Amino acid sequence: MIAAKHLSKRYGDLLAVHDVSFDVAKGEVVGFLGPNGAGKTTTMRILTGFLPPSDGQAVIDGHDMFEDPLAARRSVGYLPESPPLYPEMDVQGYLTFVAKLKDVPRKERREAVSRALERCGLKDVRRRVIGALSKGFRQRVGLAQAIVHSPPVLILDEPTIGLDPIQIREIRGLIADLASPKGGETQHTVILSTHILPEVEAICRRVILIHRGSKVVDSPLSELTQGGRSLEQVFAQQTARDLAAPAESA
Amino acid sequence: MKHVGTIAGRELKSLFVSPVAYVVLTLFSVLAGFFFLSSVLQFTEYVIRLQQFQLLDQLRELNLNDQVIAPFLGVMSVVLLFVIPGITMGLFAAEKANGTDELLLTSPLTIWEIVLGKYLAAAAFVMILVAMVALFPGLLFLYGNPEVPKTVAGLLGLFLVGLAYTAIGAFASSLTRSQVIAFVLAFVLLLLLWMLSFLADLGAAGGTMGSANNLSAFLRYLSSSDHFEQLVKGLIDTTDLVYFAILIGSFLLLAKAAIESVRWR
Repeated sequence: MIAAKHLSKRYGDLLAVHDVSFDVAKGEVVGFLGPNGAGKTTTMRILTGFLPPSDGQAVIDGHDMFEDPLAARRSVGYLPESPPLYPEMDVQGYLTFVAKLKDVPRKERREAVSRALERCGLKDVRRRVIGALSKGFRQRVGLAQAIVHSPPVLILDEPTIGLDPIQIREIRGLIADLASPKGGETQHTVILSTHILPEVEAICRRVILIHRGSKVVDSPLSELTQGGRSLEQVFAQQTARDLAAPAESA
Repeated sequence: MKHVGTIAGRELKSLFVSPVAYVVLTLFSVLAGFFFLSSVLQFTEYVIRLQQFQLLDQLRELNLNDQVIAPFLGVMSVVLLFVIPGITMGLFAAEKANGTDELLLTSPLTIWEIVLGKYLAAAAFVMILVAMVALFPGLLFLYGNPEVPKTVAGLLGLFLVGLAYTAIGAFASSLTRSQVIAFVLAFVLLLLLWMLSFLADLGAAGGTMGSANNLSAFLRYLSSSDHFEQLVKGLIDTTDLVYFAILIGSFLLLAKAAIESVRWR
């Protein structure tokens, strides 16, 4: 579903992402872990086509992001770190606008918007102006925006950041739902980035850990935590080891 | 190109739910009314003076187009220098500040669609402004008989100037995420463009550039004010139309290039 092939991204002298490769199969929920500044956001921006890689290839659902950007982008739903909302629009108007942008056919648009409203629990606020919503609701609108065109691939950049514990639980539940839907709804393949470890344990079955722009761990969660190790220990161990080794970006 | 309408529609709508559109329209109509009134008062005063001195020949040659409408449109074109940066400053800068550029640039649409959609929305707003200006010469038709074609040509000139300014403002907005910087940059670019003909006049008058008459002519060609004045005189010449088309086209291309370059940095 998602194939990252030897992705690198250079900002001037800074090597933000270095030769990152991975494949994500249909229906997988992958946790993209790493300390702040590890290159998570950059990698996700490359996968969504917001940034071109300096090197390597991103292929989404069989479409190369560089060769066939329109088809590839149609297959992705993306929630950036700060949800891309227009504060002056109402929720329903905004989602309709996004549905148009994402090429949802005119006939299916209403249906698509009301489905996204439903799934994200936004029915009651659909006439409210986005700027007047609480942070939790705005995050949900951001999520609704990402799924409105039922994309096979979802890329979520820190979807629970800045939310209170109850909201976090709701959003996590929602993400889990998206990957294993009940009857008829699109099954999404999800990559979500976070640096909150319990979040990964709650919803992901596979973990990719990047540190200083390079992939250091890529394995199922169950393997990582076997032998009684906690994810936190693994995380600390991996990021510490690399600190001692000469940094690849230097 | 099917997304152009989507982008333009959203842009216009948000212009009209925010106070910006109403503030601009209100202030613009106040200014237009003020300058129209002052043109009319000047005209009547002039007529009275000519009557006092019995200058009947001159009195016969007076007409509303040259004495009222032309100066009025001239002043309004200067007002556009200030107003249009206010309309265009948010076009792209606000998207970047909001983070919504990430939505647009990861959606299946081309950068051209974004640029054209935004431009059309701002252009529609400029059309409203010009329509408001048109009301005032319209009043003159109730009490006098100005020439229709000349008046229309003048309004067309004002509209074209507005469209060209909008393209420049859009370009300024594409360069930055700060609306203030976008405003100032657009204003300075417009002012320079407008002032080029003054520079050309200095050259023609035998100033430091006196010897380089080609340069003078070139500056004059680049400046928006001369092309505008041709239209106000009622002369619709393809040279002037081509000038505006080139100006609009090249600044929209620049805006597109500026947005693309962010990705490749």
